[in-house]
Amino acid sequence: MIVADKKPIEEIIEYLKGKQNILILGCNECVTVCEAGGKKEVGVLASALRMYFQNQGEDVKIDEVTLERQCDHEYLEEIRDRVDQYDAVVSLACGVGVQFMAEKYHSTHIYPGVNTCFLGATEERGLWTERCQACGQCILATTGGICPVSRCAKRLLNGPCGGSTTGKCEVKKGDEEIDCGWQLIVDRLQALDRLDEYETLCPVKDWSTDRAGGPRKVIREDLKQ
Amino acid sequence: MSGLESNQTTIRGSVMIAGGGVGGMQAAIDLADSGFKVHMVQKDSSIGGTMVMLDKTFPTGDCSMCMISPKMVEVGRHPDIKLHTLAEVVSIDGGPGNYRVRVKLQPRYVDAEKCTGCGICEEKCPKKVTSEYEQGLTVRKAIYSLYPQALPNTRAIDRDNCIYFQKGKCKACEKFCPSDAIIWDDSEQDIELNVGAVILSPGLERYDAGMRQELGYGRWPNVVSSIQFERILSASGPFMGEVMRPGDHKHPEKIAWIQCVGSRDSHNANPWCSSVCCMYTTKQAVIAKEHDASIQPTIFYMDIRAFGKDFDKYVNRAKEEYAVRYQRAMISTVREEPGTGNLILRYAEPDGKLVDETFDMVVLSIGFQPHKEAVAFAKTFGIELNEHRFPKTDPFVPVETTRPGIYATGIYQGPKDIPETVMQGSAVAGRAMALLSEARGSETTVIEPPAIKDVKDEEPRIGVFVCHCGINIASVVDIETVVNHAKTLPHVVYAGNNLFTCAQDSQEQMKAIIKEHGINRVVVAACSPKTHEAIFMDTIEECGVNKYLFEMANIRNQDSWVHSATPEVATAKAGELVQGAVARAASLSPLDEKKIPVIQRGLVIGGGVAGMNAALGLADQGFEVVLVEKEADLGGLATRLTATIEGADIKTYLNDLIEKVAGHPKIQVLTDALVTGFTGFKGNFTTEVIVGTGMYERKIEHGVVILATGANEYVPTEYLYGQNQNVMTQIELAERIEQSGAEDLNQVVMIQCIGSRNEGNPNCSRVCCQSAVKNALRIKKLRPEANVYILYRDMRTYGLMEDYYMEARGLGILFFPYDPDNPPAAESAENGVVVSFQDQMTGRQLKVRADVLALSAGMTPEDTEELANILKLARNAEGFFVEAHVKLRPVDMATEGIFICGTAHSPKLISESVSQALAAASRATTILSKTQLTLSAVTAEVEQDRCASCLICVRSCPYGVPRINEDGVSEIDAALCHGCGICACECPAKAIELNWYKDDQIICKIDALLEGAV
Repeated sequence: MIVADKKPIEEIIEYLKGKQNILILGCNECVTVCEAGGKKEVGVLASALRMYFQNQGEDVKIDEVTLERQCDHEYLEEIRDRVDQYDAVVSLACGVGVQFMAEKYHSTHIYPGVNTCFLGATEERGLWTERCQACGQCILATTGGICPVSRCAKRLLNGPCGGSTTGKCEVKKGDEEIDCGWQLIVDRLQALDRLDEYETLCPVKDWSTDRAGGPRKVIREDLKQ
Repeated sequence: MSGLESNQTTIRGSVMIAGGGVGGMQAAIDLADSGFKVHMVQKDSSIGGTMVMLDKTFPTGDCSMCMISPKMVEVGRHPDIKLHTLAEVVSIDGGPGNYRVRVKLQPRYVDAEKCTGCGICEEKCPKKVTSEYEQGLTVRKAIYSLYPQALPNTRAIDRDNCIYFQKGKCKACEKFCPSDAIIWDDSEQDIELNVGAVILSPGLERYDAGMRQELGYGRWPNVVSSIQFERILSASGPFMGEVMRPGDHKHPEKIAWIQCVGSRDSHNANPWCSSVCCMYTTKQAVIAKEHDASIQPTIFYMDIRAFGKDFDKYVNRAKEEYAVRYQRAMISTVREEPGTGNLILRYAEPDGKLVDETFDMVVLSIGFQPHKEAVAFAKTFGIELNEHRFPKTDPFVPVETTRPGIYATGIYQGPKDIPETVMQGSAVAGRAMALLSEARGSETTVIEPPAIKDVKDEEPRIGVFVCHCGINIASVVDIETVVNHAKTLPHVVYAGNNLFTCAQDSQEQMKAIIKEHGINRVVVAACSPKTHEAIFMDTIEECGVNKYLFEMANIRNQDSWVHSATPEVATAKAGELVQGAVARAASLSPLDEKKIPVIQRGLVIGGGVAGMNAALGLADQGFEVVLVEKEADLGGLATRLTATIEGADIKTYLNDLIEKVAGHPKIQVLTDALVTGFTGFKGNFTTEVIVGTGMYERKIEHGVVILATGANEYVPTEYLYGQNQNVMTQIELAERIEQSGAEDLNQVVMIQCIGSRNEGNPNCSRVCCQSAVKNALRIKKLRPEANVYILYRDMRTYGLMEDYYMEARGLGILFFPYDPDNPPAAESAENGVVVSFQDQMTGRQLKVRADVLALSAGMTPEDTEELANILKLARNAEGFFVEAHVKLRPVDMATEGIFICGTAHSPKLISESVSQALAAASRATTILSKTQLTLSAVTAEVEQDRCASCLICVRSCPYGVPRINEDGVSEIDAALCHGCGICACECPAKAIELNWYKDDQIICKIDALLEGAV
């Protein structure tokens, strides 16, 4: 799923200065599951903002709505008849939802309420980790199910590099060590008794499907109506 | 058959319990919940016993009163428990199944029916009397209740101290009593109770510390007994929880506890160990330090007996986190330092050096002893006592006295702590149930459920009842203002006030008002819902209003008591609290309590002594039992044991037990059987089992589970075990003696705490000290010239087993304490082992050549990791199952309908395993004896359309109830839900709500409370 994290409330308050009618708009998909933008977070943020504005002596109206998804027209349509009454909408959806909202409702001011982080998994409650960078050409078949594009800092396709020591990458996140993605791949292939596949060189990858080629599209003629 | 004979053979469905402490209460609740009428006879004016006097309890630090008072409320409210206080049994005749008991009731001089417990009389009574409950540290009145939460909630007049009775003038209580409840001509009464069985739980009395004159109790004011110190620590005690010296109310810094005052002392006091003092002392030291960080506690002890489940962990914490100093020494004198009130203690250090040390305060850890009247008491009931005046019982049936149908339990049976007392309370109930099973339900009250009006489409019509609570509320809050305010609130059609809303007549009046005004929602503004909500809910249900259309405002605990100095503020707050309650009441909808049928069959997992006793406990009451054993044969660890320390033959007992179980028509035994699947809830479980070498699958449907998976002897890796054939465990040594005697044993060394009390297993294994003493005595008796050396850390022959430790010392068995930082060492020698260790008295290194080195190996639980996963049950770090509550629910697991017994719970002796097994059967019967169960309507509900299937409810539920179903959304089984509300709080999609506490039902209350404020 798409993993997002809550934005600091100070940042959100900054966007909303001077606004009178605000809608906090949640999404019942990924951001609900990663506890950043579901109905509960909508309520928590709305209450916090109400308290803030009340303390400031400002009379601000704050409404709460949570849509099933913000990345589908039909769901976004559900607020069409009321969206004009707001001078600001804070979307707690991922960046997709925020943008889709903005595209759909041109005249409304849309602000993001979360930071969209990555495509990842819930390792345990409160811990999400990245697994995929959506490169558009999946090579997991040859790498034992471990993705070098997202797990190797250099996105090497034939690793490891010389920066791999005792299974750790030369790149660190603060004090935290990162596993060498290619060490993981080698270990896994070995465990699967498929180490011979490691010998096969990965040819030059077509990166045009990655984000470097600009915004991407998926077109399915068979499904288009 | 003549009429007389037939009358005698009628089995009665009722039980008398003599003694209303925590053990007696547990027995009463189990029996009454299983279809038996209970008569509880209590000598004092209130039930409660010892536990109500305690401040906190170890190891959790829970408030003692907070834990026991809900249990007291349960006893007080149960329609099948009748309390007879100020009562004593005079005589008893008849036999098992039908006893006739004559009971003498002392006059109370207060009509308990009329009295509402308001306490005005007590306030107005001019006579001050030393308070027994507060251990003489403060005073009570001549008309009094033992303690504020006393049950029954009324008062009694102490005739010997009453001014009217002694001088003929006063009657202040009568003058002020608003209920006209004083009866001056009340007199002694005789009543007769006809019951099927009798349970004796009178408890013990505390040793009089004044007997040990050298310790200065009663002479030096700053020497107190441990029970006095409990009251000193208590927030409701004489110093309101401030640690002060009684002599001058100064804050003590150095406090000394002296252990074994009145215990382990056959010259001046009692020879037995009182079992609980080491732990309560540790707790007192820890709690004192929590109250006042400057306190430096020192505990003078002989052996620290922290033998219970997780107790050593608690002691370790006391040492490490609270800097409690443990000094092994016996105190010979306590003298007061002239002028300061401080106390000088003289003691010898381990090397013999005499020390005088000054302390600010001294606490004497007093033990238990049978009541002075123990012999007469036993005579009344016709039971035999042992040499120490405890009832004579058998290690294999620890709750049976020598007279059939009369049972003994709790500390009366032998010194024990609270969980063991509770456990044995259930155990004794289980025995009585088995005896009287055919008369179950014959004497209990049947309550016909009233027809409930459908009010769903009606506008809310709220009735508000504001309570004076005597003067508790009315002396601070202006009730009339509150009532008038209530009348102005939305949907309120009636508002009125009562002197005591909970009184019987007020309840009747309330019913009439509800009917007259067509009230469909009720608000009571009074005291705590924790104690009174259930009473009012029952009342409104009796007049056809769904009981969940009810709300309370606590204008006493949360208002009049805390704002007594500012009455106007209190009155305004009472109005706001009522306003909040009215708002919530208007938002409530009726809830239905589901009824589910019970499968009246039990599943017992584990076929050792505990499992078999539990199975018999159920089967003897006529319930079907399936007993699942993973080995090929029944018996468990006990198959390797020979005799108990008392000399009882385990082999014969075990063979009889196996025969009884195998031949019982109600018990089906599955051996070589493994549990592979488990679903369902209390009353309706399904367990899948693979059975036998053929591995065929069985599905068992049952209403309860009893876990009795047992434990094993630790297999040592220490001291040449497995390398030298002369090194063996205590069980192996016992087998060796059994087979080949002790002729070839000239020198035997035993080392204690192998596999216990170390880093890998911080706990004591409880049984090993007695195993060592038992085997040592056996050797010494077979071959008096043999030398036996026991190297120990603390000898933990708790309770009456101290006799055997004394005997061992008397027979010349040598005991050497060792320091765990400098443990003994062993090396192989020709035909034996040489053990070297340091003697702490002389400081010398000693070497002993031993024919046998016996290792007192601890207990390790059976591997239950997979089973625990399948049943979703918690285990502690060492692998023992974790009970629902260490003190008051020692045989219940957190999952309702699952019970635990024997060594699966923690290491224990056979007699203790039997007790817990009977207890598990008794607890299980509270479910199996019913054909259907009523479930609380306060459960979580999922709005599945909103569910994001995020798994957060699944992960956060402490009971493992929610699951993502076949449709991919969360599902919460109402029958399994405990109604804690955690999932509702955590759900990020707000798809879960807790019935009766829905968001709008809470938010509207908050809004109403804060109306005008924000």
